[in-house]
Amino acid sequence: MTKPFNELRERLLRAGVAPRHVRRYLTELADHLADLRAEEERAGRSRADAESAALTRLGGMDDLAKAMTEQRQFQSWSVRAPWATFGLAPLLLLAAAWFVALFILWFGWKMFLPGSDTPFAPAGDGFANVYFQIDRAFFFGVPILIGWGIGLIAVRQRFKAVWPIAGLVLIALIGGTAQVQASRAAVSGGIGHISMDFALGTSVDGPFYGPFRVMVILTLTVLPYLIWRLQQAHSRSQML
Amino acid sequence: MAARETNPNFMNGVPELLILRLLEQEEMYGYEIVQAIRSRTDAVIAVGEGVVYPVLHGLEREGALTSRRKTVNNRSRIYYSVTPAGSHRLADLSEAWTNLAAAIQKMLTGGQHDEAIQ
Repeated sequence: MTKPFNELRERLLRAGVAPRHVRRYLTELADHLADLRAEEERAGRSRADAESAALTRLGGMDDLAKAMTEQRQFQSWSVRAPWATFGLAPLLLLAAAWFVALFILWFGWKMFLPGSDTPFAPAGDGFANVYFQIDRAFFFGVPILIGWGIGLIAVRQRFKAVWPIAGLVLIALIGGTAQVQASRAAVSGGIGHISMDFALGTSVDGPFYGPFRVMVILTLTVLPYLIWRLQQAHSRSQML
Repeated sequence: MAARETNPNFMNGVPELLILRLLEQEEMYGYEIVQAIRSRTDAVIAVGEGVVYPVLHGLEREGALTSRRKTVNNRSRIYYSVTPAGSHRLADLSEAWTNLAAAIQKMLTGGQHDEAIQ
């Protein structure tokens, strides 16, 4: 893609135009430019003159950018409602993922530990152990995956850091303080009951377990986000 | 006639009207649309050619146009055509602009003044 289009892409993304609309616009502009260049070359101009004339006919950078940015319908959802993109949606996604993780836990409890009062009892060395370990990794890994998603969206859409960081802190706080309880107190060998609550510390793991997890999630999500931002700024400065 | 800058405020709705009119006759891609507008208006209406795409995308989002990718001469292009909703929109726009043009013409030729003094 030519240099003017790189600049145009940056301007559109910074103005909040959704990446898919930017991509399509630039693709069609590039095709149009090629047609104009060919037309100018057929008219007898040199390649350099044809390129220059084609760019002039295509329109100035301000006009091309304004034509797109003044239409609100092309704005991305993260610009229209950043609270939803970086707050509500990640929370809903986290809740859905945890629901799945807890269902897997409950199913494994029923299948592999029917006599146990808790699904956290040692499940041996075989498939059952792998099953519970994968579920555990999924439960604890989901906030980090969602955090990476927030970072990628923010970097892709050239978002300022405030909303993404707020979203990452929220996910880290919730992800780091979540605790799971399970009991089969009512009927021995019955269906069992699994619930969740949020606390900074536990009697088993100590008072700093929650803050430690919060810090781990924050580090593993904010750090990649900051690195992606730096990489992007670097590649942008090289392109323009 | 030489191309000249057109006042953007007076251009409101004109690109939509011209595009819908052209695409009602046959499907076209962006470059073809711009060249057709240029030739059929004797280059009186001349804007930066690239700004046609946001108009096309906007009309497509509103359901007035539909697009499909087609390969012609080994080049992949996005062709646009008018939907039934686009035909209705064209009829409304045509009527509005015909009325407006008639009113302006009347004003320029003094018709309104004649009516006012009758």
